[in-house]
Amino acid sequence: MTGVTSAPWRESFDFDRPDIQYLKIKDSAEKFAVVQFGVCPFRWDPLSHSFLAHPHNFYIFPRQEIPGDGLSNEFLCQTSSLEFLAKYQFDFNKCIYEGISYLSRSQEEEALRQLDSLYNDNSGYSSSNSRNDADAQLVRMADILFTERMKYTVSEWRAGLLHEGNTGSGFRGSLNTMNQTFQTTFFQMRPALVLNGLSSRQLRLIKLVTEKDFKDLAYVHVTGENSVAQKLIVYTDSTSDRDLLMSEVKACQKKDSLVKIKSAIGFRHVIDLLSSEKKLIVGHNCFLDLAHVYSKFFGPLPLTAEEFVSAVRKYFPNIIDTKVLINSNDELFLLMRKGSTSLSKAFGVLCPPIGPGGTSSDVAGKPRVKVEVQVDDQRFSNWNSGAKHEAGYDAFMTGSVFSQSCRNLGIDFNSVLNLPQNEKLQKYINHLYLSWNNKDIIDLKTGKILVESLGSNNNTSTKRRNPKFVFSNTVLLWGPPSKLRAKDIRDCVCKVFGVGSIVSICHLDETAAFVQFSKEELVSDFLELKDSLEREKNSPVSILHPLSKILEGGFVRAANYEMYKDICGSSLSQVLFAEQAEVVASNPKAGVVKLAVEVDSYYPNELLSDSCMK
Amino acid sequence: MFFKRFLCSHTAAARRRHHHGKQWSVKQVTNSNFSEALPEIKACIFNSDFVAVSLQKTGGHSATWQRILPIDTAETAYMKVKDAATRFQILQFSVCPFSVKGSKVIAHPFNFHVFPRDELKVGMPSYSFSCQSSYLTSMAREGFDFNACIYNGISYLSKAQESAAKIQTGNLSPVNGAVEPSSVYSVADTIFMERIESRVKNWIRACKDSNKTEVADALISSLRKLVAGSEVFGSRPSLTIDVCSERQVPLVIEALKEFVDVVPLHVTAKGVGVQAVRAVLTSSKEDKTLLEKEIQDTEHEQRKLVRGFREVIDLISTSQRPVVVHNSLYDLALIHSKFQAPLPSTMDEFKNSLLSLFPHTLDVNHLMKEIGPFDKMNNVQAALSYLERRFSAPIDMDISNQAEEPENTNTHGHNVLRVCQLFVKLCSILKIPLEFPEGERITQLAPSLQRTSNTFSSKVHTADDDGVGIRSGNSEKVSTDNLVFLWGLKNRKSSRNLKNLICDSYNVLSEEFDVRMLDRTCAVVVFWNAGVLDRFLGMVEGSGGEGLRCARYNTYRRVCESGLWKADLAECFDETLDESETLSRTEAKLEESVIYWNDDEMINLDDL
Repeated sequence: MTGVTSAPWRESFDFDRPDIQYLKIKDSAEKFAVVQFGVCPFRWDPLSHSFLAHPHNFYIFPRQEIPGDGLSNEFLCQTSSLEFLAKYQFDFNKCIYEGISYLSRSQEEEALRQLDSLYNDNSGYSSSNSRNDADAQLVRMADILFTERMKYTVSEWRAGLLHEGNTGSGFRGSLNTMNQTFQTTFFQMRPALVLNGLSSRQLRLIKLVTEKDFKDLAYVHVTGENSVAQKLIVYTDSTSDRDLLMSEVKACQKKDSLVKIKSAIGFRHVIDLLSSEKKLIVGHNCFLDLAHVYSKFFGPLPLTAEEFVSAVRKYFPNIIDTKVLINSNDELFLLMRKGSTSLSKAFGVLCPPIGPGGTSSDVAGKPRVKVEVQVDDQRFSNWNSGAKHEAGYDAFMTGSVFSQSCRNLGIDFNSVLNLPQNEKLQKYINHLYLSWNNKDIIDLKTGKILVESLGSNNNTSTKRRNPKFVFSNTVLLWGPPSKLRAKDIRDCVCKVFGVGSIVSICHLDETAAFVQFSKEELVSDFLELKDSLEREKNSPVSILHPLSKILEGGFVRAANYEMYKDICGSSLSQVLFAEQAEVVASNPKAGVVKLAVEVDSYYPNELLSDSCMK
Repeated sequence: MFFKRFLCSHTAAARRRHHHGKQWSVKQVTNSNFSEALPEIKACIFNSDFVAVSLQKTGGHSATWQRILPIDTAETAYMKVKDAATRFQILQFSVCPFSVKGSKVIAHPFNFHVFPRDELKVGMPSYSFSCQSSYLTSMAREGFDFNACIYNGISYLSKAQESAAKIQTGNLSPVNGAVEPSSVYSVADTIFMERIESRVKNWIRACKDSNKTEVADALISSLRKLVAGSEVFGSRPSLTIDVCSERQVPLVIEALKEFVDVVPLHVTAKGVGVQAVRAVLTSSKEDKTLLEKEIQDTEHEQRKLVRGFREVIDLISTSQRPVVVHNSLYDLALIHSKFQAPLPSTMDEFKNSLLSLFPHTLDVNHLMKEIGPFDKMNNVQAALSYLERRFSAPIDMDISNQAEEPENTNTHGHNVLRVCQLFVKLCSILKIPLEFPEGERITQLAPSLQRTSNTFSSKVHTADDDGVGIRSGNSEKVSTDNLVFLWGLKNRKSSRNLKNLICDSYNVLSEEFDVRMLDRTCAVVVFWNAGVLDRFLGMVEGSGGEGLRCARYNTYRRVCESGLWKADLAECFDETLDESETLSRTEAKLEESVIYWNDDEMINLDDL
């Protein structure tokens, strides 16, 4: 992906409620572009008792293949993410020059609809045209002269045609000075005049002349064989023949645009395949990846996590997250020695490199799952692409981790017929981390957040925020940088509401902080007090009031936790939270944004379809 | 103004020149050779009369209506440009100092690859930036090397960011210049100075003593150091003198003047200004100069790391050379926001701030208008070939860069050469003298240039623009009061269809108004007569039900000011109107503004 967070405060925090976590993920998926996509199908080979993996690494780029609606494909780049990609030798040239473009399902539908309306409109076009002909008087002297000259040229060409009955060589002779501009050819078995090197205004005038003064000539605009746009004046036998020609041209144009749209789908064919095969999809901490996939290849992301989850279920019914798997299973978690559960670490532990002897070492008493890799008809038993953080390699690692995890769970690949239905996986399937930071797991089947991660759990993975954050007890403060010091806030508030009134203060960034009170009433008390102090700004009471110290005469603003949701839901992303909050707060409707149509953005994404055995 | 017919013999010359153009060599500068290139370009800038500048950026405008339209006043145009300049990024910056001698242009083109890498790990210069895939694709078509740019582009910090970074990181800086001794010292000040003096005296004595008695025990010497508060700066002893306020800093410096061997340094810390003064003791006069040089060098290194590419901007700025730009408003806004400071909120502030950076900016686009109505000549190449066809103004480009490796025939940065070629050509057609007598520095531009300097073409004629001969035949002056914005159309319409619709359903004669689509959702209607406009507004508001909505220019201004840059203008209007219904309509400051209604179709070639 070209980035993860569009502003520092969009990172995931402990005090984000699940709905806010989703909004942050949604924002990220909408703003950034995907530049590399790894897919690695795995197939169990019962004969050799090993998996066969086919890692693929796709460079993709949101190129604009079909003319949009004045909307440009735009995406955000996070500077640090680009530096990260550069560190791992990502080839930007390859991506931008040759990356595969794509079109989401909704974009395709929209394009097709436009195409339809365009060609249906045109049928009524000629009738509405009549009035405009009168309208478009020729104003400039140059226009009138040009029109007259064209009228003469065209009629001479036509006369030449009629007299000689063929290519009109006489015409060419008489106008050889202009033969760069006018060339006679044949179009759909009819003689035609090609117009080259004229300005759009001139062409418009010619079109006008042809339509007004020559009943048997048609002005058409076609795309030639080598996709060069051509303007032609075509001679037709009669009015009916002209209409026939026009409809032929129109049908042809429509077909061309249709082909263009179909070819613009590009990389989405891969996603469509993944979806239609209904295979088990394995990812590592893949909620964000899933959001990217949805927003790039299906359609705009829904407003809530529940809607999103139910929409995803339609396309990908079986998803398993190896990060969830490793963290939720006691045995696997112990194997990781309570260390980090990043993909490369898990791969290192679960799939250690096979020694030179070729004997597969056991992983925690369980036999090692053999994974062979096939790339371009070549098989490797110990494959290493060498490119760290390359999406294809990441996908391969994820699949390997998954297959070894299954073996450790006691799943026998030879006897299991349908992996997604395997009871040993039921506890983990379709469970994803909404955000790793909070360890909130979302169940894709129900859209519910599982608060206590998967029953049987070890304490370490459920180390919850302490003390528990109570959202309704919280006030959001924002203001100019360096005005909000936790100590000052605590001092002032304690003076007013008593010593035990504040539970905690967390900073969002240098311009904003959350103040958590001990009781819910204190939130409204605080906000009311603040309002009244600001109303009587200059009265001695408010000047001397201890709270005035942090309010800075109205420069520091405050709101409850719901405002935070509105602010996160906005499509804007100012770097400083206070700036963002100001814009959103001053445009009340901007908070509940419909989708900003910034369709596109992201980076390596490991997704893998695990072809389960028959 | 005289026109010369395009002659046959000229074609050959033009072709030859074009062919010649392919061999133009532009010095390519990346992070690796930036240090060497800097003195080189410095010399070039100071030896030239003009500096042409051209940028390669990651995007222009996100939606159709967000580019500068003929209906924009200077203020709304600036709001649009401000938004774009903050969001998009410069990836390539070409600079070409040049002078004119007769029909010969002596040019020294440089092309800098720029990337906002976070060199100091402080989250600057830029957290993120937007890219438009169409811009990137067209850059790719020209063979732009994105890897070179991202891997090896030169980073930078703007002036504002630099001062912020200094405060953030905290460092030592030498006391520069003589701090003028304030004439009045209070009693407390004098006592403070005396105390400092005696303390420093003791410390110096202690240092010199310990130098003599080298046998001193390690423990004792470290104890002594602790007592004296003495530290080591490099290999030299130093003493940190804490101050309670910024006011005491000059006092300390003044007190330290007594000691010839002591070099004072400011210690700045995060969040607060100068926190202490560090006095470094040197052994002799030579040693002192050595130390001063050392400090200067480290500061230089640091500065290079911090400022990066901005050094070039600073050079152009200090040289006071006129800056020649094409498409000036956007480019200058970009330069300002990336290298100077965040863009101010109004056009006037921006202009003032820019004047302090570049005293003279010359816009090629603007000069083009002096010749004729070429509103659509956004493209330098198109403008050049147009001039080639219509005027005879042979210009010889003399590119005096040491020929680099001949295989390096990439075309990066050629645009800047075209800009300066176009500029010189225009001036020669307009008979504006560009030569400066030997030895005489440019203090005053030729009067005809003076007039065009610092006006930003944006297809907007700003208030300060007398615009002689600019008003072209087909653009008419229209007051912004005569404009109505119309949206809520059920399906997409062409402006023609919409015009017919208005004629039919609102009983307005087609001669009384004109319609242009601004984007797929919104149109602007111009009425030649205010009475008709009022009648029309009343009818639209009255009919209500059809979903058609309208607003006047003030609302449009508010849309631009609100910072809600939605893809569809209609959506922005809806939101702005909803908001203003809840708020009372307090702001009613009517500015007398005038725009030019252009009769041509509005779709311009993208300035790619």
